Amino acid sequence: MKRLPFSLAIFYCLGIILVSSIKISFWFVLGSGVITFAAACLSFRNNRIFMVLVFLLAFILGGLNLKNSYIRHNCHINNFVRYKDNTIYNLSGFIDSDPEIKGKHTFFVFRTQGVQVDKLMWRCCGKVLVRMDFPQDLNYADNLILRGILLRPYGFSPGSRSYRDYLSRQGIYLVMPIKNSLQIIPQLNKGGSRLIIFSLWLRSRMEQVIKRYLADLPAGILSAMVLGQRRAIPWLVNNYMVKSGTVHILVVSGFNVGIVAFIVNLLLKIMRVRRKLRIILTIICLLIYCLITGASNPVIRATVMGVVFLLAHLLKRDADIYNCLACAALFILGLNPRQLFDVGFQLSFSSVLAIIYLYPKIKSFLCLDNCKAKALKFIYEGCLVSLCAWFGTMWIIAYNFRIVAPVTVLANILVVPLATLITLCGFSLVLCGSFSTFLGGVFSTTTAMLITLLLNINSAVIKIPFAYFYF
Amino acid sequence: MINFTPEEKRVILFLLIIAFCGITLNNLAKLNYRVKKLFCPQVYLARIDLNKISLEELIKIRCLPVKTSQRIIAYRLQHGNFSSLEALKEIRGIGDQRYEKLKDIFFVE
Repeated sequence: MKRLPFSLAIFYCLGIILVSSIKISFWFVLGSGVITFAAACLSFRNNRIFMVLVFLLAFILGGLNLKNSYIRHNCHINNFVRYKDNTIYNLSGFIDSDPEIKGKHTFFVFRTQGVQVDKLMWRCCGKVLVRMDFPQDLNYADNLILRGILLRPYGFSPGSRSYRDYLSRQGIYLVMPIKNSLQIIPQLNKGGSRLIIFSLWLRSRMEQVIKRYLADLPAGILSAMVLGQRRAIPWLVNNYMVKSGTVHILVVSGFNVGIVAFIVNLLLKIMRVRRKLRIILTIICLLIYCLITGASNPVIRATVMGVVFLLAHLLKRDADIYNCLACAALFILGLNPRQLFDVGFQLSFSSVLAIIYLYPKIKSFLCLDNCKAKALKFIYEGCLVSLCAWFGTMWIIAYNFRIVAPVTVLANILVVPLATLITLCGFSLVLCGSFSTFLGGVFSTTTAMLITLLLNINSAVIKIPFAYFYF
Repeated sequence: MINFTPEEKRVILFLLIIAFCGITLNNLAKLNYRVKKLFCPQVYLARIDLNKISLEELIKIRCLPVKTSQRIIAYRLQHGNFSSLEALKEIRGIGDQRYEKLKDIFFVE
């Protein structure tokens, strides 16, 4: 079977979906899995029955993993908090995310290691979202003791689109509001991962290079496109891009990962590094880039797919794109099966799936290969990719955000090539700007011009009649 | 000699073109101030002029409830153009939290 990982991924996802929609005991699912495994071992010689049982096992494994993700440790911080309670808790632990300052507020995820309540101390685990009502200079891995009440997040919207469910998918069940700095007691040593500390340091250096050479607005957009930092993007720019269906260019995804792989490979080739070592170093750089950009679902998907392709290249084997996509999905869902219900995950995978499935079929239907004019063929192929991606994602966008943007296809034809150039220029700016002020200035001018052009095109496109509508 | 693939050659050429464009634009910007507008995004691309926006446009961008939008336009008609964004705080429905959000959306020329 050529696409075994893809088939296994589908059954795995179906298992997650089924178990999430029915009430079933973890032990029942486990028991079914054990019986199916035993049956698979016994029917080793019969290929058909064996494959059916393997798919069933994948199905059960998906459900089992989801059931397991709902169960929390005995020492989870959630078990120490009483419902509708104003008790003051002292939490010790470290900052497990890059703190975000939004206006007058600071947000970060705090990984708890100990809790003290009523003069009693316990070891605990789990994450808490901390919301401070003042800006504070904090960093990832800072060890702190936080003092305050613990609340459950608000639901806001019903069903799986609620804020509470969004946080629970990331393993966060509690929020701690901090009103003043007396509630924070810094500790001396640092927690966290050294690799993530290094990646965040690298990211801050790259952000400094971008801010040194560009004005605030272009710097904010380039930081989003190259480093995955969307905090400096103005609300209006984001709003216009949502309406035109081009907001995906502000998210680091496969294209950026491809560029990093390409540039690293090219630089190593110029330095005459051998093929095998070049591929291994490129894989390492991709993994570091994944951490720099915050390891969101699209980036992980693209990184896993890129790593699989590179490994196939290293082992001199053909890489199948469906299997690469399946490996990425299994990797993400294996770590956190609830990501299947995350809109970002759904959009990322559905767009790629729509392109790789629909694009060759429509291309052969329209006989685009017979088109002799290269420029025209390039434009047709660009339109087709946009159309396939739009078709694959419009249903999810309409259901979750209640917006349909028919202008998406036209906007993407104009904006995506520009975004490509901007991303290439951005990476060049970051690389050259770190070493040479002259080269940094040269690349920054062109980058700024392209970003200005992109913003102008975007704002013009949404003014077209019936460009978008809410329902 | 290094064997570059056609894609690698295109990327190298592209980067050289970008560098040439950048040097040319830099020089042109020094000679003529208007060229600078090409690579400095105008403020209206990222923010809305509070004194020029109409009620329909304000409702369309969906950053405020309809009644609050109506109050903003009514305030502007009654008191004249806004002299600063701080004046938004005098409008009913705009507290400190909402004002912090609106500060990033609007500007006053």
